[in-house]
Amino acid sequence: MAESPRSGPRSRQLLLRIRRGLFASPLDTVITVVLAVLCGGGLWSFLHWVFLQADWAVVVENIRLYIHGRLPVDQVWRSWSWLGLLGTLCLVTLMPAGMLPRPVLRLLPLLWILILPIGLLLLASGLGLEPVKSRFWGGLQLSLLLTLGTILMALPLGILLALARRSSLPLLRWLTTGYIEITRGMPLIAVLFFGQLMIPLFLPEGWTLNRVLRAVLSLGFFVAAYMAEDVRGGLQAIPRTQLEAARSLGLSPLQTIILVELPQALRTALPSLANQCVASLQSTSLLAYLGLIELLGISRSILGNPDYLGRHLEVYIWLALLYWLVCILMTSLARRVERSLNVTGHH
Amino acid sequence: MLAKSFKRFAIAPLLVALASCATAPEEKVSLLEQVKSRGELKCGISGGLPGFSSLTPQGAYTGLDVDICRAVAAAALGDADNVAYTPLTAAQRFTALSSGEIDLLSRNTTQTLSRDAGGGNGLTFAPVVFYDGQGVLVRRDSGVTTLEDLAGETFCSKAGTTTERNLNDVMQARGIPFEPLNFDQDQDRNQAYTEGRCAAMTADRSSLNSARSGFAAPDDHMILDEVLSKEPLAPATADGDARWGDAVRWVVYGLMAAEELGITQSNIDARVAAATDGEEQENAALRRFLGIEGDLGSKLGLPNDFVVQAVGAVGNYGEIYDRHLGPDTPTFIPRGLNASFTEGGLHYAPPFN
Repeated sequence: MAESPRSGPRSRQLLLRIRRGLFASPLDTVITVVLAVLCGGGLWSFLHWVFLQADWAVVVENIRLYIHGRLPVDQVWRSWSWLGLLGTLCLVTLMPAGMLPRPVLRLLPLLWILILPIGLLLLASGLGLEPVKSRFWGGLQLSLLLTLGTILMALPLGILLALARRSSLPLLRWLTTGYIEITRGMPLIAVLFFGQLMIPLFLPEGWTLNRVLRAVLSLGFFVAAYMAEDVRGGLQAIPRTQLEAARSLGLSPLQTIILVELPQALRTALPSLANQCVASLQSTSLLAYLGLIELLGISRSILGNPDYLGRHLEVYIWLALLYWLVCILMTSLARRVERSLNVTGHH
Repeated sequence: MLAKSFKRFAIAPLLVALASCATAPEEKVSLLEQVKSRGELKCGISGGLPGFSSLTPQGAYTGLDVDICRAVAAAALGDADNVAYTPLTAAQRFTALSSGEIDLLSRNTTQTLSRDAGGGNGLTFAPVVFYDGQGVLVRRDSGVTTLEDLAGETFCSKAGTTTERNLNDVMQARGIPFEPLNFDQDQDRNQAYTEGRCAAMTADRSSLNSARSGFAAPDDHMILDEVLSKEPLAPATADGDARWGDAVRWVVYGLMAAEELGITQSNIDARVAAATDGEEQENAALRRFLGIEGDLGSKLGLPNDFVVQAVGAVGNYGEIYDRHLGPDTPTFIPRGLNASFTEGGLHYAPPFN
């Protein structure tokens, strides 16, 4: 390939910039060299460990457990199909808006809501499939299920709480303010303990509430309080004049909320809501200490296998990678939604 | 380790206290009948303790604690696979029993007075299935065989645990001087020991054992025969259900008695045949034990051949021990107190009469 005529000066410009940025003075040079040696040394010994010293058998041989949990081998396809559907949905959502036909775009939010019941149908029972008890769920699949369940429960609840907190009815306002403040004043682990340990004791004899459901309920109620505050922040950013304009146009209070307030409030609150979603994925790992075999919990059980004694570092680095990948996916989805909301907002 | 730190979690005592209030002592069907009609035993395990309960790559739980669940399921239901395992943390385990989330707790739980008593956790303990206790790990090439050999040496242990105090008590009582070196984390302690900063490392024997298995050359280290504290680990059921507690107790005794009598998973069919109409048909005690004669099992609400079912599924106690903690496993712990009383251990089953 012929070099472009501008590449000469451009590479010289780059060199100049490097010299100015990193080696401007003797002190700068020393700092640059020391940092480079430190980073390079750290990276080299890490890579040396990763490729030469680490024994990745604990990850490779248990990959099915990390992804599907204890699901029986002949049922693993159900977990795969759900993860496949979820992955496809992510890909479709991430595609540039122009490439998708309008009806698909309109359907996307509905599909995101439907993916949870579809997952439950596929993983638990229904559609003539053999029922699988929820204690066989685990690994990445359970972590994702818990996260999705939490978000789908907390988001509508959070919006309702935020609206109720700004309501003109004093009782409703006090109740929701109390709920939000009390929930925010409690550590998540205490809420989860309550959900896992106390709820079974309060239920009438013979009643049992599924452990996974108990986890989603406690996480959902907790996260909703935080989401409510994010949405309230968004609501407060709307100038009063808009509400007055809506009223003078003859919109009912409900119409004002749905057509004027919420679309703007959610757009403002979106970055912090996305933050809460990522945080709730991370929070699901606390459930490992309450006996659920989600990603972290199943790793504990695998590390208990005498064949993999002392392989903690390998497992935790692998987990870090998995969690990071899911987080990256979630943040890019959030950015995508942000962009599409901005587009519709400006045109 | 992490689970242990939850003991200090402020909410735990409160939860336990509330838990004991919430369980009303009502007249109800024994768990034994519930398990039989359900066709499934709900068993609480640790889920992550090498040799006691862990996951295989196939997704099945395995270990000594797990085999106790399997033995009870085989005895009560005739199928060792009909067990629903619930992994539990230390903080959860007693509430799980009292709320009925599990029928049987088989999770390396030390039997103590306050856990047994109604004013405490209100459990009913089955016979001890593993006598754990604080042990001492040393280098094999050091030639050390007793605590006296370690006079004046440095001991690595974990700070702020009973381990530290027990060691002090024992060494003081026996007049052996030593140098303690304490760490906050298991891993730091292990590393200090492998780097040679101390001549010996002390912790519960089962945990020393899994620490040793993680070393680069596990065979260069050995656990001394001496035990510094009592940690009898026993399965437990909820108080107030004597029928279920008895059934579990005698299944465990059955596993131990089978070892005394030399009945193993592989020879059990032959022994049953011999006792039915072979050379052992005059042996009335054996015939009762195997359920060929009498009604020992049905007195408990179990099939008369419950021992045959249990041993046929998981083997006798010695076989279970060897499978998970025996010399051929990475988690080898010498039998010591866990041998049958005929071998100088503490496992002793009362007569099956």
